[in-house]
Amino acid sequence: MPTLLPRVAFIRGAIACLPLTLACAPWGLLAGSTAIDAQLTPMQSQGLSLFVFAGAAQLVAIGMIKGGASALSILLTTLLLTSQHLLYAMHLRPLVSPMEPKWRLGLGFLLTDEFFALVSPYDQQTFNRWYALGVGLCMYVGWNLFTCLGVIVGKSIPGLDQLGLEFSIAATFIALITPIVRDKPTVICVAVSLLSVVLFSYWQWESAIVLAGLAGMAAGYLCKRAGAYFA
Amino acid sequence: MMIWLIIGGMTLILFFNRYLFLEPRLPLRLNRGVREFLGFAVPGMLTAICGPIIFIKDHTLDLSLANPYLLAGLCAIGLMLWTRNVLLSVVLSVAVFYLFRWWL
Repeated sequence: MPTLLPRVAFIRGAIACLPLTLACAPWGLLAGSTAIDAQLTPMQSQGLSLFVFAGAAQLVAIGMIKGGASALSILLTTLLLTSQHLLYAMHLRPLVSPMEPKWRLGLGFLLTDEFFALVSPYDQQTFNRWYALGVGLCMYVGWNLFTCLGVIVGKSIPGLDQLGLEFSIAATFIALITPIVRDKPTVICVAVSLLSVVLFSYWQWESAIVLAGLAGMAAGYLCKRAGAYFA
Repeated sequence: MMIWLIIGGMTLILFFNRYLFLEPRLPLRLNRGVREFLGFAVPGMLTAICGPIIFIKDHTLDLSLANPYLLAGLCAIGLMLWTRNVLLSVVLSVAVFYLFRWWL
């Protein structure tokens, strides 16, 4: 993988990300059409996807704009809602931080849940920057095309959020998690993460995902440490 | 104008969250403990993203066995253990999901 031609690695990355990009189509369409619905101009609606490029944060912000929330509360919600990116960046730091600025800034901008899911399995020996760029750009271009489509067709797609298309995202992440659940600490991590996310999102905490993820990670880490101590 | 300010602010916040720990000048040395902790980031975070999709419907908890998301999610685990192929497992479990949705 690290020695592949740039073009080949880039295409492999894009192909690896294609199913996840298509799975995000309904949100892209919704991000475009709900923004128009919330009285944003077409430029502003597309601008959200071009510059912010974060599905959940965009949809929540649009909902809050429509509900008349203050700018400050929208920005604070965005900060909490997207704080998992801090963890992703810390995890990818050994791979990305030694690169030259244009790569660091570029891959940093393209860092999403899907990017992290596909790129984080690689280590310093197996990582290929062009593969990562392919993954990130596939998602970026796809997300913006679907947003654009949403802006154009506006509200003419009824019940898009009721079709259950989000299951394809859950299915992909389940398929990525299953093979790595091999030892006791990882089982504990997944179980704690699942239990707490269900509880926290039932309570409608804004940072439910990152807090539950942290709880799961901490539980797995402590279990591993305890195992090493008693062994 | 207000909208553009919100979009600008959100852009800065997202880029800050994404880039902060990628900056090499940030004096941060990841010791063994932190690296071990971050080793649980993939199962921990991806599970946390899946949880609400599968169990939460319109702010209420759906723990019943007639929840197509739960049944198809379990199928995805089974398919992955059996086939070891990500794409095949995703495609088949999505098909199973729509089958359950239509049937239940």
